[in-house]
Order: sequence, then C-alpha cells, then structure tokens
Amino acid sequence: MNSLAVALDLLREARSRRWVLALALGTTGLLLLVAFGLELQVVDGALAASRFLGGRAFGDIRPADVALRPLFAGVAYAVFYGGVVVGVLVCADFAPAALAPGRIEQLLALPLRRAELLLGTYLGVLLLLGGGALYGGAGLTLIIFAKTGLFGWAPAGAALLAVAGFGAVYAVMLLSAVAVRSAALSGAAGGVAAVAFVVAGQRTELAPLFAAGWGRSLFLALSAPLPRLTGLADHAGRLAEGRPAELGLLGAQLGGAALFSAAVLALAVTLFDRKDF
Amino acid sequence: MRRRAWLLVAVLLLAASAGLMALVEAPVERPRARVAFPSRLREAERRRIAERRTMPPAPAAAAGRKAPGAEPPAPATAIRRDPFLTALPAAPGEPVVVFEANALRHSRLGELFIRCALARDPGVFDTLSRETGLDVLKDVDRVGFAGETVVVSGTFDAARWERLGKGSVEERHGDEGRLYRIPGRAASPVLARWRDQVVVISPDEAGARQALDQLEGRVPAPAPVLDEALSYGEVYGVIPGEAVQRLFSKRDAELGARLAAAASRVELHVDAMQDVAAVLRVDGPDEAALSELARSLGGAIAAGRLQAQATGDTRLADLLDAARVVPESGRFSLELAVPAATLERWFEDCAGATPSAPPPAP
Repeated sequence: MNSLAVALDLLREARSRRWVLALALGTTGLLLLVAFGLELQVVDGALAASRFLGGRAFGDIRPADVALRPLFAGVAYAVFYGGVVVGVLVCADFAPAALAPGRIEQLLALPLRRAELLLGTYLGVLLLLGGGALYGGAGLTLIIFAKTGLFGWAPAGAALLAVAGFGAVYAVMLLSAVAVRSAALSGAAGGVAAVAFVVAGQRTELAPLFAAGWGRSLFLALSAPLPRLTGLADHAGRLAEGRPAELGLLGAQLGGAALFSAAVLALAVTLFDRKDF
Repeated sequence: MRRRAWLLVAVLLLAASAGLMALVEAPVERPRARVAFPSRLREAERRRIAERRTMPPAPAAAAGRKAPGAEPPAPATAIRRDPFLTALPAAPGEPVVVFEANALRHSRLGELFIRCALARDPGVFDTLSRETGLDVLKDVDRVGFAGETVVVSGTFDAARWERLGKGSVEERHGDEGRLYRIPGRAASPVLARWRDQVVVISPDEAGARQALDQLEGRVPAPAPVLDEALSYGEVYGVIPGEAVQRLFSKRDAELGARLAAAASRVELHVDAMQDVAAVLRVDGPDEAALSELARSLGGAIAAGRLQAQATGDTRLADLLDAARVVPESGRFSLELAVPAATLERWFEDCAGATPSAPPPAP
C-alpha cells in the first residue's frame, strides 16, 4: 500500500515535469501525423479493388486483414522497441531525482521501509510508461482502423509487451541509480541492459560464435537468467500477424522477465540498505 | 542479516528466471563427448608399421641396370620395407592420400556405411565378390592415391585376374610382377600386380613398370612421398600447395595461387574407429600469410556455423560446431570432428542403420 502511494507520488511529479509533458505532446503529434500523413493509398486501393472486383480481378484474392498483416507486424515491432527506447530516455531521471540530497531524507522520514520506497518508484515508472504505451498503441490501432476499416489490437498488445520488457530494463536502471546517483549512468545502464536482453533473446543463435568450451558455457550461463526481449517482440509481431500465441513460451518469457526484475530489485534493496543517508 | 536475506532472494530469483526459461527454450547444445584428434604415431600404429615391413632392405645398388645419367642409387638401409609404401610413385606436386580400407571397414563409420549399402542392395558385396573373386570387405588392406596412380595392398590370391583385366594382355615383368594392358590403347590405364599383395593402377605403362621395379629393387626407390612416421590414423596423406591450387577454376586462379603460396603443404590425418576426428596440418613458408589464412578459416567456420544454424542445416551445424583452427608455431591445424553419436544420427535415415540388417562378419 505504501509502495502504491509512492508510485502515485511519482506520477504526480511526472505530471509536473515539463519535458515529460512535452513527450506526451510529442506522442500525440506523432499520432496526428500518422493519422493525417500516412499514405496508405496502395493498401486502400487494393482493398477497394478486392471489394469492387472480387475474385474476377485477381486469381488469388487474400482477405484484407491478411494483406495488412505485414503492416500490423511492422507497427508492433516499432511500438515494442520504440517503447523500450523511449522508456529508457524518459525514465532515466526519476530514480536519481528521488535519491537526490534533501528529497531522499524527506522520503525516508516518512513511515516507509526502504524496500517500499524502491518498489513504489519502480511501480510508478511502470504505470507511467504503461499509460503512455497504451496511449500510443491504442492511438495507432484506432488510426489504422480509421484508415483501412480493419481493427487490429496489435499496436496496443505490442505496447503492453513492451512495458513488460521495459520492467526488467528499468529494474537495472534503478539498481544503477541506487549504486551511483546519476541520470546519465542510469540511462546508459538501461541501454546496456536492453542490448543484453536482445542478445539473450538470440543466445541460441549466438552461442556458436563462441568456441565450444568454457567461453560458450560462460556466455550461456550469464545470459540464462536475462529476459528474452526479442522473444517478447516476436510475440508482439506474431500476434499482429494473426498467428496464435505460444502461450507456454510467452508465459515463460513474461515470468522470466518478472523474476529477473524482482531479483534485480532485491539487489537494489540490498544496496539501498547499505547506504547511509 | 536482512541484507543477506535480500541477496539470497535475488540469487534465488535469478536462478528461478534461468530455470523457467530453460523449460521452454530449446537446448543450445547437446552434451558432447570430447573427441581425441590424431597428432602422432601411437603404439598400435608403431606395431602396424613394424608388421608391414615384410620386404628386405633396399639393395645397395642397381648400378648394372641403371639408366645412363640417372641419379646414383640411394645407400643401402638396414630397415626392412613396406611394399605398399615402396610401390607409391614419387609424384611431385600431386596429393598422396592413403585409406586404411580394412580398418575403415571395421570402424563405426564403416559399419554404418555397410549396413546402409546392404539395406539398399542386400547382394551388393556378393555380386562384387563373384565378379572379382575378392571379398572387398576383407581382402583389401590399404588403398593409396598418388596423383593419378592408385596403389592397393591386400590379399589377392583369390582374385580373378582374367576378369579384372578383361581384354588385356598379361606380361611378366621382373621376378614376381605382372602387367595387364590393353594393346593399342596407349591412353588406357595399366594394371601392375606384384605377388598377390600389391596392385598398382597407373595411367601409363612406364609408371606401372616403375612401381614393379621399385618393389624388386631394380631401380632405387624415390624419396618416400609419405614417410612411415606420417602413417597414423585411418586416412592420412600429404597434399602439396600446387594440388590445392588446381582445385580452383581459371576465374579464381589468383585466389588459388595465393592459397598455394600460403599453404605449401597440407598434412591430413583422420581417426575413424569410433568418432571421426580429422586434422589438417597446414605448413607454409610465410608465417604472416599462414596466420591470415588460419584466421580466415576460423572466421569462415564461425560464419558457416551460424548460417547452418539459421538455415536449419543440422548436419553442417554439427560438423562445424566441433571444428576449430589451432595455431601452432609456424603452422596451424584445422580440426574437424563428428562424434559417433552424431554419425549414428546422420545414418538414421538410412534403412540399413536398423538392427535388422547387421553387417557381415569380418
């Protein structure tokens, strides 16, 4: 409960920040640009032709939603990776700001445990990014619906999966901020973590790059607990293309990301407990 | 105490994350048994060499029969000789590769191959045996290739020479040699037989006569192309750079020339009794070029491995996974291995790999 209060406090603070507001406006602007500027004439023409001429025009008529699957998949990947990158940029400053001299003492004076403070910050950031991602994802869904008449929830689904992936990235950023109170370092840690998670997602393909033996074993051991970011992105694309989700795999990827995030948060709490504020 | 508890929780959660992912992820690599590569003569091979020295030492001179202007005969040596190696012609610039046919037949690979062949045609070896009089699974000991010449050793007393040399004329040569050649056809290969132990198939008559003369000491044996010390493994040989160069087409002649210049001598050794383990030992005069070649090969192996995995070519991926380039002083070795378990998997598609079709008894 205390963590939730901290999270809501973080959201209030985010609202008061001008550049977060600017980013929200930027997202809105981007959506408007897509809405009015995206040239879907080819798609629109094909859809119209298939409606007008039917099977007499083409030997092999595909349903419109099938024809648009590549578009949905592309949007899903863009929203997923874009969401993670934007998240790293936007949220790099939150934890260092909360740990700033003066503010941290004020927070620690409240009837809060240190673990609750960290968990609250983490949840607040996820709520913030989740809201933003849903806003962007749902907006794109509606724009595509408006322009093609086809409804696909892929962008919104991709946004939610991006938030799940970003949860693990932000856990690393939070750990970094606890270790060294620096927004730049926190952002860099987020970038490195995102790259590492992408690598972990391709570990099976990358493992043969290492000579069989201790080098490969070390790579596999180090990458084993990392979230599979590309796996989550692939699921976003898969859903966008109308293919059924591999529930077991998706569950394991989401569960793995959650467990990893929890582990890193536990490390952050350990480090935070040792700090003398 | 509380800090340690958080730390423990973190470690447990990381382990749980790894465990959860491992449940759904395909295994990255199968546990692989260590494969031993042939690197020198082993005790069994030393014994094999000694047992094969069945001929008396080379005579001190054959001066009476020496052609004018020929090299002086080599000094006599007290070491008895291996007829097979003695019959191998000197073939400068040509590859020399020897297959230990009998050993290969009893190797894991040989067993699988024979089962496969029998499954496809149960009478294949019987037919061959009827036609030639030879049990190819038993009577052939070694097969050597030196350029265009083939040398085979074994036990050929049951061979049906009249069938093998169909349409040819038999001619005695020396004490225990026979030549089989088709008259009027200069381009056809000539078969030379020495006792019932060695057969030489030469692209020309002179080569066949030369082999018999070498065996009977009428001409000095040339410096051995393949030293006994290199005869380890079930396949072994020496490939000079010039031979490598010839593998390239005219368009890639420059690349071939560069390779030949860097790798002036490639030594090959393959163990095949259980796992197949091959070593290509590459020597060259230019250490820098050799190092570049080694690195290029290493890179090509890594890229090939990735490509094979990406395209689902499991056989190539298996092969390249156990491949590596090992730099040594002034040379490098390329090691390739196929573990026995992988071999069996490769032959799974072959109906003969089932227990219902056992190989014939040795």
